[in-house]
Amino acid sequence: MTLRRTASAAIVVFLALGAAVACFPIYMAVVNSFKTQGEMFESFVALPSKLHFENYAQAFEQVNLLRSTMNSVLLSLLGIGGILLCSSLAGYKLSRTKSRLSGFIFFLFISSMLVPFHSIMIPLTRMAKALQAQGSLFGLSLIYIGLGVNMAIFLYHGFVKSIPRELEESAHMDGCGELQTFFRIIFPLLMPITVTIAILDFLWIWNDFLLPLLMLTDMNQYTLILSTNTLFGEYNKEWSLILAALVLTALPVLIIFAFFQRFIMAGIAEGAVKG
Amino acid sequence: MSIKTNKSVWRLLAFVAPAFALYAISLLIPTIGGMYYSFTDWNGLKRTYGFIGFANFVDALTDDPDFVRSLWFTMKYVLYMVVLQNVIALLLAAFIETRRKSKAFFRTLFFMPNMISTIISAFIWTFVFTQVLPQLAERTMLTFLDQSWIGDPRVSFYSILIVSLWNGVGYMMIIYLAAMQGVPKSLQEAATIDGAGPFQTFVRVTLPMIAHALTICFFLTLNGAFKVFEAVYGLTGGGPGRSTQVITMNIYEEAFSNNFLYGYASAKSIILFVIVLIFTFLQIRVMKKREVEA
Repeated sequence: MTLRRTASAAIVVFLALGAAVACFPIYMAVVNSFKTQGEMFESFVALPSKLHFENYAQAFEQVNLLRSTMNSVLLSLLGIGGILLCSSLAGYKLSRTKSRLSGFIFFLFISSMLVPFHSIMIPLTRMAKALQAQGSLFGLSLIYIGLGVNMAIFLYHGFVKSIPRELEESAHMDGCGELQTFFRIIFPLLMPITVTIAILDFLWIWNDFLLPLLMLTDMNQYTLILSTNTLFGEYNKEWSLILAALVLTALPVLIIFAFFQRFIMAGIAEGAVKG
Repeated sequence: MSIKTNKSVWRLLAFVAPAFALYAISLLIPTIGGMYYSFTDWNGLKRTYGFIGFANFVDALTDDPDFVRSLWFTMKYVLYMVVLQNVIALLLAAFIETRRKSKAFFRTLFFMPNMISTIISAFIWTFVFTQVLPQLAERTMLTFLDQSWIGDPRVSFYSILIVSLWNGVGYMMIIYLAAMQGVPKSLQEAATIDGAGPFQTFVRVTLPMIAHALTICFFLTLNGAFKVFEAVYGLTGGGPGRSTQVITMNIYEEAFSNNFLYGYASAKSIILFVIVLIFTFLQIRVMKKREVEA
C-alpha cells in the first residue's frame, strides 16, 4: 500500500513539473510584458512592481491590432464557411453515389491529403499572381477552401454513412427537391461532424503563417500573426513591446480555448480517429 | 435507363463541382505544375524556359551541399520528434489517466501550448532562450541553462526540438487520452488480478488496445515533422549561416528569397514529397500489420 502511495506521489510530482514547463514560457511572456525594459533586466522572474500598460498600448498600435484581428476573423469565417458548404455537399453526394466516377473523384480528393504544402507553394504563388488573387483576403480564403476540402470531404463522407437513406427517400416522396432535402434534412444531421471540421479548420487557418506570408502583400490585409511577425523583425530588442504583442496575438485563441475546451479536444480526437 | 444514369451523373457533378473547382485550382493543378516545373530550368528572371530532364534532381542531390545538409538535418529532427513526441505524449496521457480529481486540470495545462501558433511559440521561446535562461543561470546554480541556445547550431537543434515538442505534444496527448478511455477497465483489472504490475499492464494491455491511436499519432508526427518550418524560422531563421536549415526552408529560400530558381526549387519540393510518401507508406504498412497481430 505504501508503495502504491509513493508511486502515486511520484506521478503527481512528475505531472506538476511537466505542467510547470508547459506554463513557464507563457508565464514569462505575460509577466514581463507588464514591465519596463529596465525592470525586466533586473529580474525576469519577479512580478512587476507596477503594471505598465503602455507596452500594450504601443503594441496595440504597432500591430494594428483591430485591423489585423478583423482580417484574421474575416479570413477564418470565409474559409470555414466555404469549406463546410462545399464539402458537405460533395461529401454527401459522393458517399451516396456508388459509381466508378464517384469513387475516382473521392480518391482524387483523399490522395491529395498527402501532398505537402511546400511541394505546391511555388506554382500556387505564381498562379495566384497570374490570377491577381495575390494580395487579396478574398482570394486567399478561396485558396484555403481549396486546400481544406479534401479532409472535410473525407470526414463528411464517412459520417453520411451513418445516416439512414429512408430519411431522404421519404422527403422525396413528400416532393422535396434534392437541394432542399439536403439543406432541410441532411445538413442538420451532420452537425456533430460539422463542428469537428469547423474547429480543426479554425485552428489551422487562424494559426497559419506561411501561406499568408506568401499571399498577402499589403500591410492593411495582414493577419494577426503576420503583423506580429513583422513587428518581431522590426523591433529586434525591444522585448517589452514584443512580448505585449505576442500576448495580444495569443490571447484570442486562448480565450476561445477557455470557452470551447471540450469541443476542441473532442474535435481533435474525433478527427484523428476518423483519419 | 441511359437517360436516368445521365441524370444521376449530372447530379453528382453538380454537388461536387464547387469543391472540385477550388480544389483543382489550389491543389491539383499546382501539384501537377510543380512536377512539370521540376523538369525545367524555369527561373523568375527569364521569360522562356526549357525542358532539362532530371538535371535539377541530380544537381540537388549531388552538387548542393546546403540542400543535402538540410536533408540530413531534417531527418535527424524527424527521428527525434517521432520518438520523443509520442513517448512524452503517451507518458503524460498514462499518468493523467491515473488521476481522478486533477485529470481535467492537467489535461488543460498540457494541451494549452498547442493552441498558440507555432511561429508565436517560437518567438516566445526566443525570449526565454536568449534572455530568461542566461539570467537564471547566472543567479542560480543551474549553470547548464547558460547555453548558446540560438547561436550554436549543435545546441539550437535541441532548442528547435524543445519548441516543437512544447507546441505539439498536447495534440498527441489528447488523441492518446481519448483512445485510453476506450480501453475496457475490466481488462486492466483482470491483468492486475493475474498479478501484473502497472507497467506490465500498460505494455501488455493498454498499448495493444490503443494500437490504432499509435498508428495515427506516428503518422501525424512523421508527416508534420518533415514539413517543419515555423519553429526554425522563428527561432534561428535557419542560421547561423545555413547550419540549421530544414528542407522546407531551403526550398523557400531557393524560390522566394534569393534566387527565384523556380524549376530547381520545384525539383527539391518533389524530392520532399517523395520522401514523405515513402516514409509514411512504410510506417503505415509496418504499424497496420502490427495492429492486426495485436
